[in-house]
Amino acid sequence: MSRLNRRKFVKTGIAGAAGIMAFSPVLASEPSALQEKKILYRTLGKTGIKVPVVSFGVMRADNPNLCKAAYDNGITFFDTANGYQNGNNETMLGNLFKGIPRNSFILETKVKPAAVGRDGIPTDQTTAEDFLAKFNVSLSRLQMDYVDILFIHDISNPQLLKYKPIVRAVKKLKKDGKTRFIGFSTHNNMASVIDAAASTDKWDVILTTYNFKLPNIKEMNAALKKANDAGIGIVAMKTLAGGSFLDKEKTKPLNTSAALKWALSNPNVHTAIPGMTNFDHLAINLKVLADITITDQEKNDLLAANAEPGLYCTGCTKCMPACPFNLPVPDLMRAYMYAYGYSNPSMAYTLLGELGTGSAPCSNCETCRVECNRNFNVKEKISDISRLVNVPADFIV
Amino acid sequence: MKYKILSCIVLFASVSFLYSQELSFPDMQGYKWSTNYPVYTPDNLWDFIDGAAETYLSYNFENLHVAEYKKGRNVIKLEIYRHKDNIQAFGIYSSERSPSFRFINIGGQGYKADGSLNFFKGKFYVKIRTYSKSEKILQSLETLALKVADMLPGESVMPKALSEFPEMGKKKNEETYIRESVLGHEFLQDAFKAMYEVNDMSFSIFLIDKSSPDESRKVITSYLSNAGVETDDLLGGKYVFKDGYNGDIFLSWKDTRIVIISGLSKDQTEIANRYTSEILR
Repeated sequence: MSRLNRRKFVKTGIAGAAGIMAFSPVLASEPSALQEKKILYRTLGKTGIKVPVVSFGVMRADNPNLCKAAYDNGITFFDTANGYQNGNNETMLGNLFKGIPRNSFILETKVKPAAVGRDGIPTDQTTAEDFLAKFNVSLSRLQMDYVDILFIHDISNPQLLKYKPIVRAVKKLKKDGKTRFIGFSTHNNMASVIDAAASTDKWDVILTTYNFKLPNIKEMNAALKKANDAGIGIVAMKTLAGGSFLDKEKTKPLNTSAALKWALSNPNVHTAIPGMTNFDHLAINLKVLADITITDQEKNDLLAANAEPGLYCTGCTKCMPACPFNLPVPDLMRAYMYAYGYSNPSMAYTLLGELGTGSAPCSNCETCRVECNRNFNVKEKISDISRLVNVPADFIV
Repeated sequence: MKYKILSCIVLFASVSFLYSQELSFPDMQGYKWSTNYPVYTPDNLWDFIDGAAETYLSYNFENLHVAEYKKGRNVIKLEIYRHKDNIQAFGIYSSERSPSFRFINIGGQGYKADGSLNFFKGKFYVKIRTYSKSEKILQSLETLALKVADMLPGESVMPKALSEFPEMGKKKNEETYIRESVLGHEFLQDAFKAMYEVNDMSFSIFLIDKSSPDESRKVITSYLSNAGVETDDLLGGKYVFKDGYNGDIFLSWKDTRIVIISGLSKDQTEIANRYTSEILR
């Protein structure tokens, strides 16, 4: 494998929302360079595994040479899943790692239990047999006898944590040496799921959504502390809060280093797995691997990024007490989302009819007292969507 | 008042246009279909497939229609992803395709694997799956797939560019279309890729067709500059250079088309030249 020795990353740069930052990191060209390089490590809870603070979310990567470059530069923890690229992701990693000493990297994969409802509750088709069959396929693709961590993929309801067929299955895999440690990933309702998990001694590691835009950050931080105190390793994902840009037109780039550093500023987070698809991403993240100090400029960038409202109401309901007319603000925001986000005015029309808030529910207020966590201009959005009520039903497509 | 009515009409004209792209779902004997899902758009695809949405978005995803077909306790889920064009639909399809799957003759191409059946046709990528183990239900996947394929507009063809790859040594069903960060480089985009195995040598060929020779020149300049190669008066031709972790690269350029070969070493230049010449003849 040839090494990078002339790569120039001088051009690499990301524009923060409040300024431009240029980075010029250089990938280590020789193993000896790695020894001199400063890499920050943390211990992944009771697993005792020493992990670099920046790991590799491989999900979208399709170039094994990128993964090798990360490995050679100290990023030794790799995250994949049974379902990523319909299995091609695990196959790529399997081919890469077959020539690399097994104890020199940490490999984690995820398996999704079948037929879990949209409410996160398992059904009678959520079976251990299916789960174990998928895991064995993963091992085969990875060309490994074991993985370091096996996550149950996507738990959003604490009920699934108690679902015996799957819990017994992962425990058996650990006992049989097919995985060294077990855990789960959680993408929604994370605080309550983590809190519930931390009340038991079943789980070694949790992979969770964690970013500067989370609306319930206090609850989330409390849950992470409880999990850390219980000895559970914490891996952060989605640290960019949905992508490298703040708007769908891709005109406002996110300061990705700042976002990653923010997640790692919580000592209860042991490593993060930013997704990387090119050498520029890697070069930026390697700088964070050596230094997670957030500069004032980066703090400002994150503040500005947080002020970007986006389109979707998180349904936190914190706004509701402020409305003097007790309007169902989250529901009205949902109607707005149906019309403009889902392009489905029919759903918006039906919802508005059910709410019965009329065509001008904000007309009695000159100024709006509602303060939205997402910085929505609530009055403007309600006034806009409520006009739909005046349109005859026959006109709604 | 006039303004209000006009605003409403404008609002509906815009949202109705998007919504008018809604697809209908075919009926299946013995099954009852329903959809409790919204029509997903680039803004909310994350709600449905979470982080995988980023890959779909990169292939110019436009919308997704989801339906469930129920027969007793058995459920078949149908997902129809609409992308910008046939190439994008092939791109996302090929990123999730493995040569080990059982391929079937449907749409541009399709396959069956572990309770799922995926295919693409025209600008659509269709995914059908069930958790049922019943043989009858599994057979129904194919019946439904054929009905959906009949219903969808567009040609049942592979992208034309794939026919430009030489057949000798080409690995079957491993061609892909990569939208972003080809070989891990942000400046390399929109490449068809084919894998080859010739006399125990494995290598990949990437084919990029830009909109003009000038656009090609910009890409070549970026790549050579990134690799530290001098770039004066680029008019076309061949370059061999080392690209860090990607190893030796054979880069050829003629008019709008760029061919990149990765996986061969400099002493295998003859093989690289042979394949390049066949594509750029």
